[in-house]
Amino acid sequence: MTDARITAAGPGRIVGWRSERPGAGRLARDSLLIAGRHLRVLRGNLGRLIYPLLQPVLILVLFVSVLENLASVSGGPYRQFLIPGIMIENVVLTAPITGLALVRDADTGLADRFRSLPMSRSAVLVGRLLSDAVVFFVQALVMIGVSYLLGFRVHTGLPGLVGIVAVAVAFGIALGVTCAWLALLIRDVETAERALFFPFIPLAFVSSAYAPVDRLAGWLQPLARVNPVSSAAAVLRALADGGPLAASALQLAAWTAVLAIVPGVLAVRRWQASP
Amino acid sequence: MTNADEAELAIEARGVEKSFGGVQALRGVDLTVRPGMLAALLGPNGAGKTTLVRILATLLRQDCGTVRVLGRDVLARPYAVRSVIGLTGQYAGLDEALPGRDNLVLIGRLAGLGRRLARQRAADLAERFGLAAAAGRSVRTYSCGMRRRLDLAASLMNRPALLILDEPTTGLDPGSRVELWAALRELREAGTTMLLTTQYLEEADRFADAVHVLDHGVIIAAGTAADLKARAGAQVVDVLLAGQGAAAAAEALRASVAPSDLHVDEASRRLTIVARDGLTTLLTTAKLLEADGIAVADIVMRQPSLDEAFLALTSGISGTQPSGAPR
Repeated sequence: MTDARITAAGPGRIVGWRSERPGAGRLARDSLLIAGRHLRVLRGNLGRLIYPLLQPVLILVLFVSVLENLASVSGGPYRQFLIPGIMIENVVLTAPITGLALVRDADTGLADRFRSLPMSRSAVLVGRLLSDAVVFFVQALVMIGVSYLLGFRVHTGLPGLVGIVAVAVAFGIALGVTCAWLALLIRDVETAERALFFPFIPLAFVSSAYAPVDRLAGWLQPLARVNPVSSAAAVLRALADGGPLAASALQLAAWTAVLAIVPGVLAVRRWQASP
Repeated sequence: MTNADEAELAIEARGVEKSFGGVQALRGVDLTVRPGMLAALLGPNGAGKTTLVRILATLLRQDCGTVRVLGRDVLARPYAVRSVIGLTGQYAGLDEALPGRDNLVLIGRLAGLGRRLARQRAADLAERFGLAAAAGRSVRTYSCGMRRRLDLAASLMNRPALLILDEPTTGLDPGSRVELWAALRELREAGTTMLLTTQYLEEADRFADAVHVLDHGVIIAAGTAADLKARAGAQVVDVLLAGQGAAAAAEALRASVAPSDLHVDEASRRLTIVARDGLTTLLTTAKLLEADGIAVADIVMRQPSLDEAFLALTSGISGTQPSGAPR
């Protein structure tokens, strides 16, 4: 099918028109453009850049200093047990920002602008997630560095380190997608701010992040066992210490897929349908 | 396939209806805009202007009716529509945290331009809208007028065949308004087709080639500004009394003014008289009031206000054209 060529009488000419629905190539291109936009904002605004970098340092030092003398675990120093939990806690604290950024965009004229462009609409979400992946990646490196100074050791060498970073990024993205969908459901920025951070308190604490599951109150234990934060923390510990990996890795992979795919599809639909 | 006749029209809307919940925002709108025209969509708040604009820009789907933009159906081929329009909404579509230049380049690239072309156009447009010096600064530091100009520049990055502007001058100070109008006039001279919404009759009057009056979700009148003014009725004389005594003043005028042409507002001490005889009405009014010793604080002759024009247009057209543009 060919279309009549539109010659704009305006300040220029529109020669032909792009294929109707942006394909995968356009999705990739536009996602990179959106990711570039968010990263450029981070680069150009010291205030926005400093908090994602400061947060992991702060919570590592604080949690380790406060909790260390209170607890002990069998099979090694508590620090070695606690730090992977804090790494996941950091991811959990960062993920809501993804959702909030999206709903903030939806609230401004920028969302209308994007929707009125012949761009891939999914790119708004995918691009944001890409830029968040960069943030999670840098945070993971910072955490590993600070953890090393605090005495945390990765006994499995480079593969273990790569694994830890990969898990932090993947889990962060999966949670980020979920948050994006929730934020778009809520729509109101202020409500979303509260609602998105709230579930993460139980999510982070009812888990094996700070204590082994069998040391939690009895009624919490079944919840803690299925909590994705527990499996993520377990995977990080196994990666650092070289312990058995398969069961928790499988559980984490399943969680990551569920948290990313279902809300991801719903979030993109929601974004497209927004008034 | 798009045949040449359909492509000739920039906007062709037929019987467009849209409801939100139980509220009917548009109740069968017909709208035709020919290429090269600056068309104004005039109406008060809540008339349905923004709803119609959002349907044209593929941001909303209409419930009923067909809409074609440059021959492309907005429901069937939204991406084809998006590739030929530019939209300047009521709220600036900009990333506040980014410099003006980066905003332009980003929007240009998302519209499909290559990197070099996007940068080139961003520089050209920044220059043209007097933003070259500020292009490297983040939009957060821009004044309201600069934001509007940048927003307009962003809408022009893909060189749209149709530029849609939703209340472009609302909230601007008079200076910025003049600047924006100068930019729009320049675009019109270059031949860009534009549809803009406004609440201001004077604005539509001064700049638009065609004016469509939207009220309660229906186009109640359409034509050139001159057509509408003729239909909206004569000018009016406004009298503000120095003291009380509106009733006495009305009594004094009774000899020369038909009761239906005289409106008295006792509380605000104001008389409004339809100036059937133009300036003569003003002079007669002043003489009669003076003869009866009624002190006048202010007396002016003016165009009918938008409210008055609406009243005249609605009553003038009822029964003959219940809906749709008479063109």
